[in-house]
Amino acid sequence: MRRLAMGFIPLTDAAVLIAAAERGFSMAEGLDIDLHKEVSWANIRDKVNVGLLDGAHMLGPLAIASSLGLGHVRVPLVVPFALNLNGSALTIAKDVYAEMGDTGIDLSTAPAAARALGRVVAQRRAAGREPLIFASVYSFSTHTYLVRNFLKAGGVDPDRDVRLVVIPPPFMAESLRNGLVHGFCVGSPWNSVAVDADVGRIAVLGAEIFGWVPEKVLGVHARFANAESDVLHRLVRALYAAARWCEDPANHEDLARLLGEPRHLSLPADVLRRTLDGRLHTAPGGPLRAHQDYLVLHRDGANRPEPDHALWMYSQIVEAHQGEWTPDAAREAISVYRPDIFDHAVGHTPVRHTAEPDCVATRLGAPFDAPRFLATGK
Amino acid sequence: MASGRPGFSRWLQPTDPMASDLNLRIVIVDESPVRAAILSEGLREAGYVNVLRVEGHKNLLERIYAIDPDVILIDLEDPSRDTIEQMFQMSREVKRPVAMFVDQSDGKTIEAAIAAGVASYVVDGLRKDRVKPILETTISRFRAFARLKEELEEAKSQLEERKLVDRAKLILMKMKNIDEQAAYGLMRRTAMNEKKRMVDIAQSVITAAEMLR
Repeated sequence: MRRLAMGFIPLTDAAVLIAAAERGFSMAEGLDIDLHKEVSWANIRDKVNVGLLDGAHMLGPLAIASSLGLGHVRVPLVVPFALNLNGSALTIAKDVYAEMGDTGIDLSTAPAAARALGRVVAQRRAAGREPLIFASVYSFSTHTYLVRNFLKAGGVDPDRDVRLVVIPPPFMAESLRNGLVHGFCVGSPWNSVAVDADVGRIAVLGAEIFGWVPEKVLGVHARFANAESDVLHRLVRALYAAARWCEDPANHEDLARLLGEPRHLSLPADVLRRTLDGRLHTAPGGPLRAHQDYLVLHRDGANRPEPDHALWMYSQIVEAHQGEWTPDAAREAISVYRPDIFDHAVGHTPVRHTAEPDCVATRLGAPFDAPRFLATGK
Repeated sequence: MASGRPGFSRWLQPTDPMASDLNLRIVIVDESPVRAAILSEGLREAGYVNVLRVEGHKNLLERIYAIDPDVILIDLEDPSRDTIEQMFQMSREVKRPVAMFVDQSDGKTIEAAIAAGVASYVVDGLRKDRVKPILETTISRFRAFARLKEELEEAKSQLEERKLVDRAKLILMKMKNIDEQAAYGLMRRTAMNEKKRMVDIAQSVITAAEMLR
């Protein structure tokens, strides 16, 4: 039995890793996974770097940024498995959401909500009020890019018209209550936690901005991937079996209870159940905002690390001025994702979701032209 | 001058490099008041005079900006690391001093720091040799604190174990109508025969007594 130390951040999308460790899927592959709950993405990255962790639940863009040496020391990482797609939402402070409603725009669709927010930002600027502050959980995260794209769709310049900050997920609801931030984008279940505490309203689900967007991945150090390819293949197989189990609605009740345990997320199982099922209250006791792709843990090839997704994340890093475009960096970003390891472990290439109009199913803003970006950086 | 930061010369004494190192502004972000005290005491003993502790998460960045530190030391279990790291990227736009992790080439120090449970951020351009003594003090103080905590926990668990043994002893005395010494002797013999610890036998006695009640 090979022991593996794996880190995770308490979020619903740690589900596949936690289920692999706790529901026998890793045992079946001769692996004994020790789960380590971590408090920051920086810790995850650093502990994988120095070998205190063999691998971890990781933000896709963090894996890319670390491998490129952006924002920190360079840590070459390998992504052989995607733990989930989608799963985020944008929550807006109650008073700002009311201002959005006062514009008279129907807030039930993403483009309209973006327009309404754009108008509120313009009104506040005209009135000489302080710019709005939006939080994400980490600089290099799909959350950051969701916020930026949503703002841009409403005609807001994310670098000039608002302030973007980083706040750890457990402090999000509190920061909204204290007025430290006016909105945030975070993974489940923290949007629901803010709604249940009656401090914010879910304005839009991530899946309404990008319908098929990379989120958390399994990240391991390149050193480990090169030295122990057999162990890595077994780990990928265990995760794949766990993901299939997690996707099945028949297992959601058990999964929600497992995730809710104090050693994992330490949250009520019913909140977790709603996020697993993709049914979210946008206001306390209010209407449910449901989306079949709210959080995708397995189906339609969701676990295969698609190189196009890696390139898209790099394009967002460039768009957010977090790194400069170079052809070498673009190729390096793509090579972090390793579908070859996945295919070898799982034994086949799963049927891929036909995302339209591009690899991330962009719903708001211009589609991503992967070949053009690779050639020109635009 | 080691740092090209405007305002740095305000308090830097360029004639005495040793004194300038001791003037480096060090911020400690640690929710544990005891460990923060142990660390800041260690740094003061080493001669560093500008050591400040920041606590709580509210307006953390504003407070760190106001101090304008050369070195930030932060407990790994503090969730604010991600918030602080964003500051380094923002700095380009808001004209704040750019801070970066300790020198990339110094893998050993990074490893020792992470293993001890602390991370450090150092203002860009500050030479490794100027920061090294600070990091060494931090790592050794964090280790000392961890040992202290372990000892305390061990003492606490020993006390808990003694309480369990005492409870089991009372149960045996009452049920078997024997004296304290005989009850203790019985548990000791059983522990030796079964190759178990006294506390495990005591726990079994208590569990059994509760089930039979």
